[in-house]
Amino acid sequence: MTTAVSRSRVDAVRLTPRSWVLLAAAFVLGIVAFGWPLLGQASGSVNLAHSSDAPWIFIVLVPLLLGVIMAELSEGALDAKSVALLGVLAACGAALRLPSGGVAGFEPVFFLLVPAGRVFGRGFGFVLGALTLFVSALLTGGVGPWLPFQMFAAAWIGFFAGCLPPMRGRSEVVLLAAYGTVSALAYGLAMNLWFWPFVANGESSISYDPAASTLQNLRHFWGFHLTTSLGFDLPRAAFMAAFLLIAGRPLLGAFRRVARRAAFLAPVSFEEIESSSS
Amino acid sequence: MIRFEHVTVTYPDAPAPILVDVNFEVPEGELCLVVGVTGSGKSTLLRAVNGLVPRFTGGVMQGSVIVDGRRTSEVSPRELADVVGLVGQDPAASFVTDYVEDELAYAMENLGIAPDIMRRRVEDILDLLGLHELRNRPLASLSGGQQQRVAIGSVLTAGPRVLVLDEPTSALDPAAAEEVLAALTRLVHDLGTTVLIAEHRLERVVQYADRVMLIPGGGQPVVIGLPAEVLRTSVVAPPVVELGRLAGWSPLPLSVREARRSASELRERLSSVVPPVRVPRNIGEIVVVTENLQASYGPITALRGVNLEIRSGEIVAVMGRNGAGKSTLLNHLVGLRAPIGGSVRVMGREPHRLSARDIVRAAGLVPQDCGVLLYHDTVAAECRAADRDTDLAPGSTRAVLDRIVPEIEARTHPRDLSEGQRLGLALAIILASEPPVVLLDEPTRGLDYLAKQRLIHVLTTFANAGTAVVIATHDVEVVAAVADRVVVMAEGEIVADGPAREVVSHSPVFAPQVAKVMAPEPWLTVSEVKAALGALESPGAIA
Amino acid sequence: MSERRLVHPGAWWVWAIGLAAGALRTTNPFLLCLIVAVAGWVVVSRRSDAPWARSFASCLRLGLIVIIIRMVFQVFFGARIPGTIVFSLPEVTLPSWAAGVSIGGTVTTESLVAAFYQGLRLATVVACFGAATSLCSPYRMLRALPSALYEAGVAMTVAFSFAPQAIVSARQVRDARRLRGRSDRGIRAWSGAAMPVLEGALERSVALAASMDSRGYGRRGDVSVPLRRLGSVLTLLGLVLVMIGSYGLLDPGAPVLFRLPAMVLAVLAFVAALLVGGRLNHRTRYRPDPWAFPEWVITLSGVAAVIGSVISARNGDLLDPSVYPLEFPAIPLAALAGVLLASLPAWVAPLPPTALSTSQPLAVAA
Repeated sequence: MTTAVSRSRVDAVRLTPRSWVLLAAAFVLGIVAFGWPLLGQASGSVNLAHSSDAPWIFIVLVPLLLGVIMAELSEGALDAKSVALLGVLAACGAALRLPSGGVAGFEPVFFLLVPAGRVFGRGFGFVLGALTLFVSALLTGGVGPWLPFQMFAAAWIGFFAGCLPPMRGRSEVVLLAAYGTVSALAYGLAMNLWFWPFVANGESSISYDPAASTLQNLRHFWGFHLTTSLGFDLPRAAFMAAFLLIAGRPLLGAFRRVARRAAFLAPVSFEEIESSSS
Repeated sequence: MIRFEHVTVTYPDAPAPILVDVNFEVPEGELCLVVGVTGSGKSTLLRAVNGLVPRFTGGVMQGSVIVDGRRTSEVSPRELADVVGLVGQDPAASFVTDYVEDELAYAMENLGIAPDIMRRRVEDILDLLGLHELRNRPLASLSGGQQQRVAIGSVLTAGPRVLVLDEPTSALDPAAAEEVLAALTRLVHDLGTTVLIAEHRLERVVQYADRVMLIPGGGQPVVIGLPAEVLRTSVVAPPVVELGRLAGWSPLPLSVREARRSASELRERLSSVVPPVRVPRNIGEIVVVTENLQASYGPITALRGVNLEIRSGEIVAVMGRNGAGKSTLLNHLVGLRAPIGGSVRVMGREPHRLSARDIVRAAGLVPQDCGVLLYHDTVAAECRAADRDTDLAPGSTRAVLDRIVPEIEARTHPRDLSEGQRLGLALAIILASEPPVVLLDEPTRGLDYLAKQRLIHVLTTFANAGTAVVIATHDVEVVAAVADRVVVMAEGEIVADGPAREVVSHSPVFAPQVAKVMAPEPWLTVSEVKAALGALESPGAIA
Repeated sequence: MSERRLVHPGAWWVWAIGLAAGALRTTNPFLLCLIVAVAGWVVVSRRSDAPWARSFASCLRLGLIVIIIRMVFQVFFGARIPGTIVFSLPEVTLPSWAAGVSIGGTVTTESLVAAFYQGLRLATVVACFGAATSLCSPYRMLRALPSALYEAGVAMTVAFSFAPQAIVSARQVRDARRLRGRSDRGIRAWSGAAMPVLEGALERSVALAASMDSRGYGRRGDVSVPLRRLGSVLTLLGLVLVMIGSYGLLDPGAPVLFRLPAMVLAVLAFVAALLVGGRLNHRTRYRPDPWAFPEWVITLSGVAAVIGSVISARNGDLLDPSVYPLEFPAIPLAALAGVLLASLPAWVAPLPPTALSTSQPLAVAA
């Protein structure tokens, strides 16, 4: 009974040109918001004074940016089906996080995010990523200044999952697994980069030094990343790949089924009949 | 108020239209009951009233649906929200907020109604449906009947002229169903709302209906008319109507009261006949025994000292209101929970100590929600997995399934099956390993009469072969037809335990319609009456 | 104050952010512990019986973990500064491909104390946010969102109501495995439960969507074109300003105007865009939470915590006690007063409504 319905893409949240502009700008800003320790040019005291401002500015800005993007994406494009699906999937993702106890490394949340972004489209993946992290943070009590950044990074994981080239069958599962691994590692890297200036200030060989050159900071960060989070990231990425290889097929099947049930793509038409009795 | 003109609906990917050339009209202020077997297109018809079909589900609709002068082809469901209110089977799945008041106000917020008007309407609906004491309660803490009333209230606040309900009482016990139906009749009589309601358990609703619409399915035309006329020839009919048809009463009675007026002559005729003893089965030795069984869920005591014995070949019905402990008892019999006091033994062993592989050979449970048993994505895969899990020869589960529910395609996804088919599949999976004890928790929810007949037949067959069957249910008609013994539970204790005829005949809550009509004569089902009449006419034939 | 009602969630969040901002400006351990104590006191006095109100304890645990991690980090990777040696670890230098990091070495009291201060600061911030999530119902928070984010808010509400249901459902499916002869213990059982729960959830979402559609979800009134354009312009303006601001932040040669002022303006532009976007949605609100005297007091008391800290800095009090050499920290008075003021909500805020007893069934109506 698995028909060839929807060889074409399901786009549960359609992206208007304005959304694209906003998303592109947000991507660039995201790079700045996460990577400012590595991007700033060092030149003595002037930068030092503002390097302490940068994190707080972004802590205010990134949530607002997320809010504006959400508002733009939901402008008429989030109908009841998409909203209900988003809510239910975000809840499942959040429920997945509970057993892990919110330990910083293990994020089973993405298990659902990658296939869902793949089946339901990029816009849906973006919103789902942000929502899942938000809901799970509120449910597990892990709200902190890092939350908007986690949401932002997860949103991009969902977005790019929807950008993967169309494929079916075994190769699709392998593709998703590969993407899952890469994105898990990238997420770990990004969040570590965010944490770095806060956790590792002071003068050690792996701390952030505003006065040092970019190359120096890069080396320091690499040392920091290696010694702290890579130990979590590699198992997480491996687990993600294993999960997607095993459970990817049924997950994709379930999502495609509901896409068909919810008739995201089904054509609707009315035909008038000339009735003799008016 | 509601008019369908030459409506034909075809879903995408469907080989044939599900509704063909439907024409009818429901005048304002009437309660119209929609009757039909599963798969006949009842839900499609109901959802076409507010435009969910085809706008939400996809598909092609020919003809036009006109509600209160507006065509569904021209307006979307959200714009009809203040004209048509739709209530489904599962109220909990339709809640958007967390508190009763907020849920009631949700529809009005969407319509952009001014806050003071919203306040007033919420108060009105709270009074109308008797919900004012629940107003600050979280929705998750309400009982089924209360939730259903809140769901009705939440569509009523938008002020619709038409209310459409798709099996609203199927998940409710008789008392809660009464609450909901009383609220609906109040709406019809006091507010003049037009109500379109689909129900399988006709015996609850038919006496309130002004009009009955029968959907025969299979492309045949829809029949609409006065209840007595339509039910005279309908395949699905409540027991009272069947009794009336059998006895040839005219006008055809729709409620117990009407039937009793015509029944005195029948009662006299049958007073000399002793109701037939159920075909005696080989009631064998005791297979289940509980002694002083106690169970609790956290701080709540669910079972207080239950003493029960069940023998092989018996069919025992466990009845009682929601929360009386029926499901808990069944869970303990199959070892899903361990008792905190007392003991329970199934086939001589304690079920909670058995491993999963062993319990499957001793007792099987079909839970309330059969979906929790089904994991795979085709029926064939489920059957194969069931064979593997219980070390059976390949194909045995499929054979049992074909006996229970014929004509299920192997490649159907289990969640695409109808309620009756899904129950059949779950039953096949449990019965394939031929456990000596089979337990069913509320199996009749959502089943139409035909599916219930099939279930009764299957259970009787297995009981005749020596299986002990325990069925926890609210459905008094099924109990009357199939049970040898009835156990009534309340507040975690057994308050009545005896032969079905004794326990059920004189109880106002648990008596089937035939018993109420024929009281004080102890008849339980129409088939018994039919057999007795047959015996009277040809005295040599034994029922 | 005799009336029981829920406080507007915005008030609690401003209060929490004020406390957190006050915490970020100092590493004085006494002040930080006092902030945590104040937050805890307010939570205990004014939280409701709902399930989310219990999350403060797990926030404190999280904070403890943060402190421990920070100190462990210092032990292994910290900078080696001479001081009173506590113990010393063997020093290992990683090869150059691992960035030549050196692990181990001597551990001094000063470095441990410094790490403790910093961990404590972050833990305090976590506690402040945890207090806000304990005190506000997530549903109320979502209702207080600007209307532009309404759809996202609905999705979140659905998620919150469904999450406990998903867990119950998972348990039921896991139990049902036993009924089919499969083991219900261990990781296999839980992972096998996942698919049916997910499929049930997906079906439920379709039913929910139908119900929402039938109740008018997504009705749009007449969209006023000038307002829409204004919203777009504001968003675009905000984007441009943020770009300028980031450039200014990264390049020290940029004019001063490009940094903080550009960012502040960008923030204002975004906020305005969100508010304007809300007007396009013509939904009304049923009984919105009022902003009354208690809300003002709560907000201002949070602000007082920050102001106290600012005044202390002006007066020259030491907000960051010295670690090298190690000195006993003195308590800055103005900051102390500010934090104590922030405990006002424990008395001023109205009590939350009690949940009615859920075990008594309603008497059957006629």
